[in-house]
Amino acid sequence: MKAPAQAMDLQEVIRTSVLEVRGDGKAGGGLVLAFQSLASLMLRDDEMHVQEWPFFSSARRGANIRSFLRISRRPIQAGCEVTRPRMAVLMDEGAARSVDFAQGVPPGGTFVLNTRHTPDECARHYHLTGRVVTVPGDDIGTKYLKHAIGNVSLYIAAARAIGGFGIEQLADSFLETLKKRRIPATILERNRAALLASAESIREGIFDEAGPDDHPLAEWAGYGDLPIGAQTPLRLSQSNRTSDYAPSGIRLRFEDPATACTGCAHCITNCPEGIIRFVPDAERGLLVTGVDVSTFCKLCGECIAVCPEKLFKEVPSEDRWEEVLAS
Amino acid sequence: MKESIVPAAPMAHHTTPSGEIYPGALNLEKVREAHRVLHKTRDTITADGNTAAAIATLQMWRCILFAGFPITPSTKYIETIAAHISQQVGGKKRVKLMEAEHAVADYLVGAAAACRDLIFPTATSSVGLDHMTETTRSLGASGLGNVLLVDVYRATANFPLCIEGDPSDTLAHRDDGFIQIACRGKQQIYDTMIQSPCLGMHHEVMTPVMPGYYGIKDSHRNARLIVEPDKEIHAFQDRWIKPCPFPGLVNGDTAFGNCVTSRHFQGFKVSQKRRMDRVLDVLPQISADFERQFGRPGLAFFDAVGFGDDGAADLAVVSLGPDFGTFESVREEYAKRSGLKVAGIAMRLLTPFPRDAVRKRLERAKAVLVVNQAHHQGRGHLTLDVADALADLATPPRIVSVFAGMGGADVSEITWEQMLDHGRGALEGRAMPPWAVFHEGRQL
Repeated sequence: MKAPAQAMDLQEVIRTSVLEVRGDGKAGGGLVLAFQSLASLMLRDDEMHVQEWPFFSSARRGANIRSFLRISRRPIQAGCEVTRPRMAVLMDEGAARSVDFAQGVPPGGTFVLNTRHTPDECARHYHLTGRVVTVPGDDIGTKYLKHAIGNVSLYIAAARAIGGFGIEQLADSFLETLKKRRIPATILERNRAALLASAESIREGIFDEAGPDDHPLAEWAGYGDLPIGAQTPLRLSQSNRTSDYAPSGIRLRFEDPATACTGCAHCITNCPEGIIRFVPDAERGLLVTGVDVSTFCKLCGECIAVCPEKLFKEVPSEDRWEEVLAS
Repeated sequence: MKESIVPAAPMAHHTTPSGEIYPGALNLEKVREAHRVLHKTRDTITADGNTAAAIATLQMWRCILFAGFPITPSTKYIETIAAHISQQVGGKKRVKLMEAEHAVADYLVGAAAACRDLIFPTATSSVGLDHMTETTRSLGASGLGNVLLVDVYRATANFPLCIEGDPSDTLAHRDDGFIQIACRGKQQIYDTMIQSPCLGMHHEVMTPVMPGYYGIKDSHRNARLIVEPDKEIHAFQDRWIKPCPFPGLVNGDTAFGNCVTSRHFQGFKVSQKRRMDRVLDVLPQISADFERQFGRPGLAFFDAVGFGDDGAADLAVVSLGPDFGTFESVREEYAKRSGLKVAGIAMRLLTPFPRDAVRKRLERAKAVLVVNQAHHQGRGHLTLDVADALADLATPPRIVSVFAGMGGADVSEITWEQMLDHGRGALEGRAMPPWAVFHEGRQL
């Protein structure tokens, strides 16, 4: 590991200019609620000016989304998107397959990640220079809220990274936001427990792992020569793979060791993406040989539901980082 | 409220040239008493644009029926209202979720005509507004100023579908007959909602109002919002909203249902234009009264920035919406760097276009850069309006027309700087194209 770099004082940024924050996540993953809660928290200070808004791409669960936040002690005029954030937030590691969540962050910026990985592993994996803050939000969500959702933890981690508020204020503000959504009292209590547990689980460090060519601002390349009526790639995706819509940590698997496929072709006709591989079979019809989960499989579950032999199933899947294997 | 707001027949009535009026048909005092107070004091809350608009209408005692049909990005407006109303046990206000936008528009017509002293709000976007078109043109001419049709701007297209905001929808409905007011920021949205019925229901205006704000960029952007006490809002609106002198559909004659000759139709349209023109005189009065009562700027023809006392500017920008804020954020630095006096106006009143006020504001500019954000077959809706406003000047400033932010695309600081550089071409005497498109700091 290189010598530690300096991290910006975010409170100083708020005092003297505008703290710009950008978050990446997936639709339905809690990113918007986390940012709304941060905005409400900051607005508890009467002298704070705040802007918060989301950006949706493809409007469906699992698609990449972004949230933006501006915080300042001065009136905020700019209404454009945040492209050079001093703080970048990653709600879902799956979202980072399609976007560079650290793009445009200057050296010394702050990175807040919902992950089981350590700050050190994240800094090396994503090539980060600055302050790296991690919290295992999905695990905490699973334990306290029976759902692998990290918004509670990410909110606490981001708020602590910005500073200026005590843990009780952080908890009260978040629970107030939930109350506005008419969340039942028992769930509110679980959220409070998750908040406190998150505060205990935050880890952080300052690292210098970004090279000069890492995280450059993308030069806009124009629309190109499109055939009439063609769709451009999703604006938040480098690859336009709808497989990134699938829940993180789960993949579809087709297994037929005994060649039990009846050739009924129900999976082929029901798959909305046309990614079931098959070969014609003279006796049985269309014999399924596999499924391409790397491109467009968004785990809709149609094949699992229609297969009479139960040959499709969801299985746990985890990207194995070199940084983790090395350590 | 135990008694019905509708008294038993027979009702007292009298004749007017337009038909019969039944002044006791609706007991307004009972309606007022049935209102559930939302805010007793001036409060500061966090809200997005849709919530700000919804809260304003929920605070009006004259709003009791909320018809709607969801369409992104306006959906949260009716959701917020439904959530509040469902919590009011025994409350008399109702949400009417209709089967389509066309049905919403028809519902507004019937309700607004039958109860001309109440206010009937809804919100829609993009093709939702298009679906209403069969009715909105009639509605615009009807004199039903008690209709409040919020348009949450979204590019008008179903394929490709884009949920983000540009004002193509509202500008495509320029001639429907509505007063169109553009807002930017939560506070302006909230304040505009409160003032709009006062303008629309004014006896000299009697024209429905279409307040609007950008989808996503404002509809979904959270910020601080100051909400006023219901009591203060009622006092303000009651000063301006007087009993309607015309009958509604209760045995009355309105724009609806009758087949008329061209002679009558033309007179009807002339009246419509005259009422619309009155907006230019009435709006400033309402605005001044609003500012006196609430201490914030009221309705305006436009927001102006950077003009000196003498009104002079080298380069004046004309645009609308929240992206104007980004222009404001780069304006001073750009002016310092270029040595130019850079100013701008963000349009608020789109229809009727305040051409005299715009001409007066821009007459001492050397060049005018008009930034359009809606699709247009030519140089842009705003450009044509500005050109018309400046046409009478002996030496009108050169007009440079650009497009940016179409489909709700981001208009970044560098894009603004590039557009300003482009506008300087007119000051340097260069030949300028009829229009140009900018995105991500580049001219396309």
